[in-house]
Amino acid sequence: MKKSILIIAIFIATGIAAQTKYQKGMQKAFSLWEQGKMTESSQLFERISKAEPTKWLPAYYTATVEILSSFGLKDETALKAKLTKAQEFLDIARANSENNPEILITQAFLNLGYIAFDGQKYGMTLSGKTNQLYAKALQIAPNNPRVILGNAEWNMGTAKYFGKSTKPYCSEIKRAIELGKKEKIEIEFYPKFMQNRAEEVLKQCE
Amino acid sequence: MKRILFLLLTISQISLFAQTTISGKVTDSKNIPIEGANVYLDGTYDGSSTNEKGEFSFLTSEKGNQTIVISYISFETFIKTANITSLKNLKVKLREDVNSLDAVVINAGTFEAGEKAKVTVLKPLDIVTTASALGDVMGALQTLPGTSTVDEDGRLFVRGGEAEETQIFIDGMRVFTPYAPAARNIPTRGRFSPFLFKGISFSTGGYSAEYGQALSSVLQLNTIDEPIEEKTDLSFMTLGLGVGNTQIWGSNSFSINASYINLAPYQEAFPDRNTWNKPVQSLSGEMVYRHKFKNESLLKLYGAFNYTTFDLIQEDINFENGFQFGLKNRNLYFNASYKNKFENNWRLETGLSFTNDYSDVNIFDDTVLDNENSMHVKLKLRKRFSNRFKLSFGSEYFITNFNEDYISNTNNLYEFDFDNNIFASFVETDIFFSKSLAAKVGLRLENSELLNQFTVSPRISVAHKISNNSQFSLAYGQFYQNPKNDYLKFNQNFKAENTSHLIANYQATKQGQIFRIEAYLKDYNNLVKFDGNTATFSSNYNNNGNGYAKGFDVFWRQNRKIKNTDYWVSYSYLDTERDYRNYPTAATPSFASKHNLSLVAKHWVESWKSQLGFTYNFASGRNYTNPNEIGFLNNKTKNYNSLSVNWAYLIDQQKILYFSVNNVLGTQNVFGYNYKNTPEPNGNFNRQAIIPNTDRFFFVGFFWTISNNKNTNQLDNL
Repeated sequence: MKKSILIIAIFIATGIAAQTKYQKGMQKAFSLWEQGKMTESSQLFERISKAEPTKWLPAYYTATVEILSSFGLKDETALKAKLTKAQEFLDIARANSENNPEILITQAFLNLGYIAFDGQKYGMTLSGKTNQLYAKALQIAPNNPRVILGNAEWNMGTAKYFGKSTKPYCSEIKRAIELGKKEKIEIEFYPKFMQNRAEEVLKQCE
Repeated sequence: MKRILFLLLTISQISLFAQTTISGKVTDSKNIPIEGANVYLDGTYDGSSTNEKGEFSFLTSEKGNQTIVISYISFETFIKTANITSLKNLKVKLREDVNSLDAVVINAGTFEAGEKAKVTVLKPLDIVTTASALGDVMGALQTLPGTSTVDEDGRLFVRGGEAEETQIFIDGMRVFTPYAPAARNIPTRGRFSPFLFKGISFSTGGYSAEYGQALSSVLQLNTIDEPIEEKTDLSFMTLGLGVGNTQIWGSNSFSINASYINLAPYQEAFPDRNTWNKPVQSLSGEMVYRHKFKNESLLKLYGAFNYTTFDLIQEDINFENGFQFGLKNRNLYFNASYKNKFENNWRLETGLSFTNDYSDVNIFDDTVLDNENSMHVKLKLRKRFSNRFKLSFGSEYFITNFNEDYISNTNNLYEFDFDNNIFASFVETDIFFSKSLAAKVGLRLENSELLNQFTVSPRISVAHKISNNSQFSLAYGQFYQNPKNDYLKFNQNFKAENTSHLIANYQATKQGQIFRIEAYLKDYNNLVKFDGNTATFSSNYNNNGNGYAKGFDVFWRQNRKIKNTDYWVSYSYLDTERDYRNYPTAATPSFASKHNLSLVAKHWVESWKSQLGFTYNFASGRNYTNPNEIGFLNNKTKNYNSLSVNWAYLIDQQKILYFSVNNVLGTQNVFGYNYKNTPEPNGNFNRQAIIPNTDRFFFVGFFWTISNNKNTNQLDNL
């Protein structure tokens, strides 16, 4: 009995130690994000990224949170400051993981932040680049549901702008949803497919 | 056994006790707490955010010397290395980041276009969507304040200066012959296609010491660094055809475009007031090659070729059978530029440009052959000591060889030739005292070999941010320019012409709107004077001319406050007099008008998939000399009015149909009067109004983009 208590105690102690600082940090950052504490979450991802200079995920999430929190900003100074920071971290992520489709589509997402803010000013140079990014991501990962959904959403935006039907993209979104259900993620903290969001986009499409 | 458990627990307790607390308070320079700053020990997971009082506190088990980092958006990051035990109750003042978008901008005199600009006055798209501009950079800039409408000429006349007082640069290198040739009373256009440029900076005074040989204005055009995708563009226009292609491979890209313009069909359909012996025909092409090296440095080669011919007879009161003018012009421009960043924040920019311009002009039976070879080489270094202090310096050399052969109808040959070489050096500093106070101080030295003259031009500008949305700036500078080729070919015993600029600017910006007002005073000295009716080889020349120009410019632009509508208004007030050329007395020159007003509006109609635009231009009357009355430049023409409209229709995402009409109301504008050389028997001189060749100008074009990506179109090109 005593022996087993000892074993359990040791197991707990080492078990806690086995969960690395990295895992703890990342989990905490995700939980802050879920609680809507965007600043704290982004800052924790930022600290992890600085402490783990060879990992792409913390930098990727720092950028993602900054981009998400930039949407809807009315002040160009604040927007530019946020997206400049996001760009800096996306560059770190890219340096650590080349030709990563997740990073490519996040870059496209960042560009969208600028275009959505002032299409006339930023659209001319950035919309072409964004097209290129989706094309490249699709080439690398033709069955990645996030890439397919992002690309379909981007094309829907363009179609709406030109007063065209968004119908042709619905099937792509459905395909992304199917692939998302089947997808098995093997890398810890790897970006997940947001089923609920995809369903919403599908509603807008139809 | 229990002991072991106890031990395990105490160890974890001890490790807690061994932790150090890092704490402090973060404020801005005015002691206002900063909430949400990120505070952490570099390379560790330990850190926290500041609370609403700017305070932070966290535990760390790190030992010894550690680096604390405090970062917050729009502020410079604070970094300090010290022993962990001393990082307690820190009082940190973060310095504002002077690079942020809301920092003060040194902008007296300058309008910026392009996404890099902090305050954008024109957007890249505007060049090609402004109704009156017809896709010409110069045309679009003429809707900005500080410019005068001189519709029979088409070049840029800035703040009481002649067109030659504006210099144009592509990627920092001088363009010696920027305008396409045109006959009298027909407006000229810039030689380059606007699609190749990503940024434009148009300075109407007080510009940087980097630029010289310009008395009034400097226009900088920057070509695109990296094209986005491979594509082919086709254009079918009422005036001609165009084709363009872009290729990208690895870190290289190549763009080429060619166009053929022939005005014969248009002149057949809409005859103008001239008799065309040969219609305007022009063949032109441009090429850009870009290479990005592994170290991110960039090499750009740009070449442009143009060949234009025409021959016409214009009505002229002094020539019974009209005034015959024929021209063949060949122009070659080449420009190479290279920029690189080095360690320790050094930056190098260097380049070379070369121009060959050859014209064969026939005026009745006289022939004038002009040949100009010009070159510009430049090297510039820039060192960033910090965000707040930057130094740049460099040298450049301009070489011009001009040769003219004048063959008279009696077959006599007169030859004029000169070399105009200038060496210049410049040094300039950018100093940010704070986010709201900045200065630029520079000095330019020039040595002209032809005039054997050494000049010193100081330049200074200061900008101060008064509130979140507004700023005030001042600029002063001295500017020198050698007399223009028209004089130098006959006489070289000159001094450089000189002007000084004093400028005060107020600017207020908000999202989607910008207001600016700028007052200026220009003092001209050493202007060229000559005797006789026109400048000829037998005229007597001197440098005793002088003049002044003063006034103010107002600009207002609002974007999308009215749904789908973008508009701007420019107004310029100009008071100028000059005693130069063959003027008997100081007078307002015939190209200057006191009031200039432009109104440009664009409206997107979703249901029509169309952009509709209009431009209205107004200029008050300009001086002319009426020999039937006493005095010089003693009369004024009536006011100038012109309304232009355009309509761009998106057939689909890759096809666009474009219509435009300049001066749609057909207003009868008069630029001046041409008087008969000899009086009638009653002593009166008869006159002829100088009017446009045609009252309205129509343009229809179809633009088609072919690329793998179905989303791009030439909307950008309109």
